[in-house]
Amino acid sequence: MLQEESDLSLIIAQIVQKLKGSNLYAQLERQAWASLQRPEIKLESLKEDIKEFFKISGWEKKLQNAVYSELSVFPLPSHPAAPPEHLKEPLVYMRKAQGSWEKRILKSLNSMCTELSIPLARKRPVGEQKELLNKWNEMGTDEPDLSLFRPVYAPKDFLEVLINLRNPNYESGDSLSFRTHLGLIQVPLKVKDIPELKEFFVELGLTTGQLGIDDSTQVPPELFENEHVRIGQKVLTQQDSAAAQQYIRQGSPTALRAELWALILNISSHPEDILYYEQLKTNVIQHDLLVDSLIYKDVKLTASNDDYYFVFEDYLYQVLLCFSRDTSVLSHFAYNSASPPKSYIRGKLGLEEYAVFYPPNGVIPFHGFSMYVAPLCFLYHEPSKLYQIFREMYVRFFFRLHSISSHPSGIVSLCLLFETLLQTYLPQLFYHLREIGAQPLRISFKWMVRAFSGYLATDQLLLLWDRILGYNSLEILAVLAAAVFAFRAVNLMEVTSLAAAEAVLADLSTLKVSPGEGQIQLFAPDSVLVITF
Amino acid sequence: MSRVSVPCHVKGTVALQVGDVRTSQGRPGVLVIDVTFPSVAPFELQEIMFKNYYTAFLTIRVRQHTSTHTPAKWVTCLRDYCLMPDPHSEEGAQEYVSLFKHQSPSMTFPKWLSHPVPCEQPTPLLEGLPDPSRVSSEVQQMWALTEMIRASHTSTRIGRFDVDGCYDLNLLSYT
Repeated sequence: MLQEESDLSLIIAQIVQKLKGSNLYAQLERQAWASLQRPEIKLESLKEDIKEFFKISGWEKKLQNAVYSELSVFPLPSHPAAPPEHLKEPLVYMRKAQGSWEKRILKSLNSMCTELSIPLARKRPVGEQKELLNKWNEMGTDEPDLSLFRPVYAPKDFLEVLINLRNPNYESGDSLSFRTHLGLIQVPLKVKDIPELKEFFVELGLTTGQLGIDDSTQVPPELFENEHVRIGQKVLTQQDSAAAQQYIRQGSPTALRAELWALILNISSHPEDILYYEQLKTNVIQHDLLVDSLIYKDVKLTASNDDYYFVFEDYLYQVLLCFSRDTSVLSHFAYNSASPPKSYIRGKLGLEEYAVFYPPNGVIPFHGFSMYVAPLCFLYHEPSKLYQIFREMYVRFFFRLHSISSHPSGIVSLCLLFETLLQTYLPQLFYHLREIGAQPLRISFKWMVRAFSGYLATDQLLLLWDRILGYNSLEILAVLAAAVFAFRAVNLMEVTSLAAAEAVLADLSTLKVSPGEGQIQLFAPDSVLVITF
Repeated sequence: MSRVSVPCHVKGTVALQVGDVRTSQGRPGVLVIDVTFPSVAPFELQEIMFKNYYTAFLTIRVRQHTSTHTPAKWVTCLRDYCLMPDPHSEEGAQEYVSLFKHQSPSMTFPKWLSHPVPCEQPTPLLEGLPDPSRVSSEVQQMWALTEMIRASHTSTRIGRFDVDGCYDLNLLSYT
């Protein structure tokens, strides 16, 4: 068999294998059985008739969406000899760095545990369970004493780890040479250059209409917006994930966004999903986790202080506490360079049948984590739907922002892409900032780690996240970060300290995130991405 | 058709250097690895598999004996096969690679064949998609494999994170 043919067979076989355990499979089976009653289904042409029935009734489309979802999320099967860790992360030195970082986090959590004499997990007494159930919709009114808790880490701690990443096979030496990178990231990952970015983001070109700019006063709305909305409604009627993903590259009309994102992420609210969420809620009621306090603290410190998001405080607890109990999240560790922390039931140290993951979903939240959920609260008000959307966004995108990997959408690549863009197109600015001790990445890192949540105005943030979904990539975060520096270049050239540079870039809430008529041209004259004011 | 791995001896790398000058500063970009097959019967090589470590291009040369009277000849099977599209970046640097017989056009009478075999006819592809019955048999194999694995696994309750209702934990462990 030719290699390409066997590769495709392997991919198909793996997708079939995955879907076999899904709800959709059970539903298709039921539908197939039920269809036997229909007059158009004939025994002599059973297979063809059922296939035709699936096509007409829309079930084939659901299957297509599920396959498309698998293709988008799971990496292509690698070489048969490659071990599972290779799929998580192919470069050995990155795996080791991730392992060391994780160990530090575990040690930090363990010492918090011992210092405060608080168990990692405990079963709530019945009285406490009742109390929590009663206050489930207003957990924000609680004011527990969280002063002794500290976030396990903040983005700047993580940045220091990334700065110290080194490829042992890459000779850079400690002294500055032409081989040293001028920025903070010193590993030679492949990042897209401008021609490649232009091709990748081709729909963001000047000749293609964009929401957010073309619906402003200069261009009559009839020309673009109405047509765009019409197409969006058609895409939703068709219920086609791939078409929705293509469509949203030009931004989503506000009224259609919630449904479009659900379609792209292949989320539909079946009774099973609502039941699953209720089960997670029960888990929260029954067991109290140390991680819960970290979540409380994070929400109180970040989202509750934010003008846009404080109203959603209660929703955030309802999502994040359930998220920590969700074991289905564990499956994403197959393609995440990170691994879930492990523990043993008390008294059974070392016995594998008593080994468990902690927290149950394997994800330890860091300072700012709740900001991944906050913007979604504008779109979804039903808790189980909000939950499903967040979970899918996390296992597709957000996990890459806080784990060490060589993936093109991983935070390391994004940092390098940002630094490379800035150096290439604004070399004077880059050099100046470097000279005054204000390496640009030190300022932009926190924007990228949070996918700009809490930094951009919400309507602009959602337009940005439209593009993340549309292109199935986080690279736009690095491009936007570079563009922000370009926009403020004139002011930045005059600062003489890191603090002053931070001050210039402190408020991004007035920026519009849409390509359009260039007032500030970031790249070469014929290029496509600009920031307007 | 079952496949077996052929025992081979992989010698250490030898750097190619110009002239006799051996300096510690000059680092040659070409290294040679000798692979010998200690006394095996003639076999038909299907696949060479290895894990890359920062090699950008690969050339494979084979020493052929065509008959007992003529001296052995070196033949190039693969020249400058690209393993890393951009050698200065990490792409492909640590990947697992397989090289198949059909990728080498000049591999007609390698040493290990006692007689030539006709070239395999590739099956015609239906609009670029694989043959459904072959895929379906492959899928059957995968299911069978998974069932075997599942049968030998201790059953884990889906969705539960506790052990028999207990989630009372020690500290986190570092492995």
